[in-house]
Amino acid sequence: MTHLTRRGVLGTAALLAAPAIIRPAFAADTVKLGCLFSSSGTMANLEGRLNHVVRMAADAINGRGGVNGRQIEVLTSDPASDWPLYAQVGRQMLQQEKVAALFGCWTSVSRKSVLPVVEQNDGLLFYPLHFEGDENSKAVVYVNSPPASSVLPAVDYLMGPDGVGAKRFFMIGSDYVWPRTINKQLKGYWTSKGIPETAWREEYVPFGFSNFQTLVNQVRSFASQPGGQAIVVLTVVGSSIPDFLREFANQGISATDVPILGLDMVEADLEGLDTAKLVGHLNCWAYLQAAKGERNQTFLADWAAYVKAKNVPFSADTVIDPMVSAYDSVHLWALAAAKAGSFAVPEVRKAFAGLSFDDPSGYTLTMTGENNYVSRGVFIGSVNEKRGFDVLWQSPNAPKPVPFSPYG
Amino acid sequence: MAEPRRFYLWVLPALWCLVHSATPASAAPLDRAAFAADLCGDGAAQVRGAEGLVQAGGDLPADDLAFAGRLLGALAERRLSCRAEGAVLLDRPSASEGRDAVSGAPRPVAEARAPVLGLRQRAALETARGTVALLTGADPAARGAGLSVVERRIATVPAAVLDRARDAETDPALKGTIAGLAQAAALSSPDPARRRAAIAAVAASPSGTAQARLAALKSDPAYTADPAFRAALDAGLAQVSRAVAIGDGLAVVYNGLSFASILFMAAAGLAIIFGLMGVINLAQGEFIMLGAYATYGVQEAFRRLAPGLLDLYLFAAIPVAFGAVALAGIVVEALILRHLYRRPLMSLLATWAVSLFLVNLVRVTVGTQNLQFVMPAYVSGGVPLYADFVMTWNRLFAIGFAAATLVLTLLILRRTPLGLDIRAVTQNRDMAACLGLPTRRVDRLAFGLGSGLAGLAGVALCPIYSVNPGMGSGLIVDSFMVVVLGGVGSLVGTLVAALGVGGANVLIEPISGAVAAKVIVLVGIILFLQRRPEGLFAVRRRR
Repeated sequence: MTHLTRRGVLGTAALLAAPAIIRPAFAADTVKLGCLFSSSGTMANLEGRLNHVVRMAADAINGRGGVNGRQIEVLTSDPASDWPLYAQVGRQMLQQEKVAALFGCWTSVSRKSVLPVVEQNDGLLFYPLHFEGDENSKAVVYVNSPPASSVLPAVDYLMGPDGVGAKRFFMIGSDYVWPRTINKQLKGYWTSKGIPETAWREEYVPFGFSNFQTLVNQVRSFASQPGGQAIVVLTVVGSSIPDFLREFANQGISATDVPILGLDMVEADLEGLDTAKLVGHLNCWAYLQAAKGERNQTFLADWAAYVKAKNVPFSADTVIDPMVSAYDSVHLWALAAAKAGSFAVPEVRKAFAGLSFDDPSGYTLTMTGENNYVSRGVFIGSVNEKRGFDVLWQSPNAPKPVPFSPYG
Repeated sequence: MAEPRRFYLWVLPALWCLVHSATPASAAPLDRAAFAADLCGDGAAQVRGAEGLVQAGGDLPADDLAFAGRLLGALAERRLSCRAEGAVLLDRPSASEGRDAVSGAPRPVAEARAPVLGLRQRAALETARGTVALLTGADPAARGAGLSVVERRIATVPAAVLDRARDAETDPALKGTIAGLAQAAALSSPDPARRRAAIAAVAASPSGTAQARLAALKSDPAYTADPAFRAALDAGLAQVSRAVAIGDGLAVVYNGLSFASILFMAAAGLAIIFGLMGVINLAQGEFIMLGAYATYGVQEAFRRLAPGLLDLYLFAAIPVAFGAVALAGIVVEALILRHLYRRPLMSLLATWAVSLFLVNLVRVTVGTQNLQFVMPAYVSGGVPLYADFVMTWNRLFAIGFAAATLVLTLLILRRTPLGLDIRAVTQNRDMAACLGLPTRRVDRLAFGLGSGLAGLAGVALCPIYSVNPGMGSGLIVDSFMVVVLGGVGSLVGTLVAALGVGGANVLIEPISGAVAAKVIVLVGIILFLQRRPEGLFAVRRRR
């Protein structure tokens, strides 16, 4: 610590002592950050926002003088929701553009395809989504929560007396690694609670699936069977989420009959839906737009101003967790780089231990030296009439992340 | 049925008296301040308040019920501000002043603290509101709505509430429904005759839930001890199982039909274009998307110009979407495709380029978010028809729309000069040209017609799927499957193929899952095409 501080002091002293002519040249020297978020394809509407929020965070840091005396330059790309393309673009950014860190991916399948690239090139990928866990790479900073600190508290809530005392579970997911792993862990968790195998059902649909009539029929007949309150654990992604919700409401099932716990459901998924019939369905994230506190108000105002100033093609008044997590990622990287006094990945990685950042959710993010996971708070949200989520429950503090699930 | 009814005429009042004498405290008027405090308390207090109201609901004076209804409504709509001095009712959420919930005196509110309801609280609140609506609703519709809420949670509602509602009800139909429900609530009554009547009443309105309720009675000691009870239960269960099976069958037919209608709408235009010109129009999905965006435009125009008629925008959008997308198709044909008729692969690539261009155009001009549509009553929600079969309006709209489109397209193809030309050119282009038909003009008009049909599909899809720039890509594969299976260029073949693919998907999905259903259907189609490469209905043509 002292060593690093001394270096920082020396650096600052050198900067101040240097003749004024050098300063602009010094400032023009930039450090590059790369974004891997799709602005076309199935994930465009969600991932597209993250490019802009990374820029916004970088602008804010640049406004304060940059990191280690250098301005941040953000490179964006469009992997077009095409998983192999993420790896290809990532390699280009690391090898040709020499980016100091990558920020990217939404679906776990895209992260899995980038993973070998960042590992081989000794790069650093900040991943802003909550995900299935069971992975721990030195090359990835898992900025959002693993299931133990997001999904399990929400399921516990629903099973407990404050929730609905859920006894039976209908799992519906898109057919890929994230839903399948989450469901595997949930089944292990329920088994550990003594819930029999007959109490759950598991169904998967292809990516982009929209015809949910038959599945909703099945949910209804599942719920009418004896054995206790049933809930739906929804892990479909992308445009399947609003399509499922619409069918669910149209068939007359309300949240008080069969609540849905939408694990990938964010504020942006409710755009375009009539949520009056969906009030009460739940999600769980490390941030909700309705989070209390001044920091969140500032963030919302900043985003709205940024959208207006830069003519960003996304809603100025919708903010979702992965946006905040991407924003946190940039700040965490900047803090680590400043602490390390260097942009070299090994140095930055060593600086992660003990970092903390006060993010818009109201919690303080912290990192330990053990792994590249981040401690964050947890929210359970409840759909309201205004296409948003109310905060139904939030964790008293930021739970320590558990990367590997003991249940799967 | 007459016997038990008469029996009830004397047994229920007797029971009513029994309830009254057993719980004299509940006859007291509502403690309004305590009730308001409960609703403003923590989750447990809210549940206690709401459930207490339901329990006492049979005896409370009407003005107490109205008072409770106001408070419960305000809590549900987040107009109840909870302050240290007591609850305040606001006119709208986060208003700056309101009225004291108990005294009605005006009170300023500096900072509203509206509690967020958990699911348990929400359920209790819904039941309580339903009870109040059932007992004090101004008209039969309001009381009926209350009844349907109460019915869903009948186990938590005391018999006194239903009895009071039945006695006070003036609408004969509603009175009958309430009486039936009151009867069905007595499944665990100690009186064997009442129980049998309750079984019959439960069986009279069959559903999966009713089936589960009755099946649970099989483990009741009375089932082995009392032959009359056993007979009644077996008969009731058989009746319910039969009805549920029929209802499920109806649901399968309906789901199959509705999916088929979507497939047909998406494929109809493609069939005409492909059949006539041999052009594989990869932009067809994006034409559907344009149709949906045109519908959105019509909605916005209505919102600006005629807000009163907003609910009719879907119908007004039909000609607009058809015209706009037909025009887009004609432009694409005139600018690009007509140069490529001799090179089918190039035309395929060109239409793909058009599709990419359209997606990006919409993305840049409108954005990627799902569009916000007003859903008029005729395309939102559904009506429970029989047992567990719910007919959803949006799907019915799509089915009707597809049927109308089919009829109109057939009329155009069979009864108009343009249709005659299209059929002639489809059968033998060279011969038609020799006979003096302007085949290029026919191509262009047919391309316009096919694109226009895609526009109509866009209108039909608005109430069902999310509308965003990417919506077309998901439809193109399915519609090609349907067109190829149906026999290229045959509208009737497209219809039959859509019904077949839709039905097969719906049948296989519950058995082997949605992912496998897609694969199985695709494999089935490939195998079928091995035997009949020309599809179901091959268009006869000279070679």
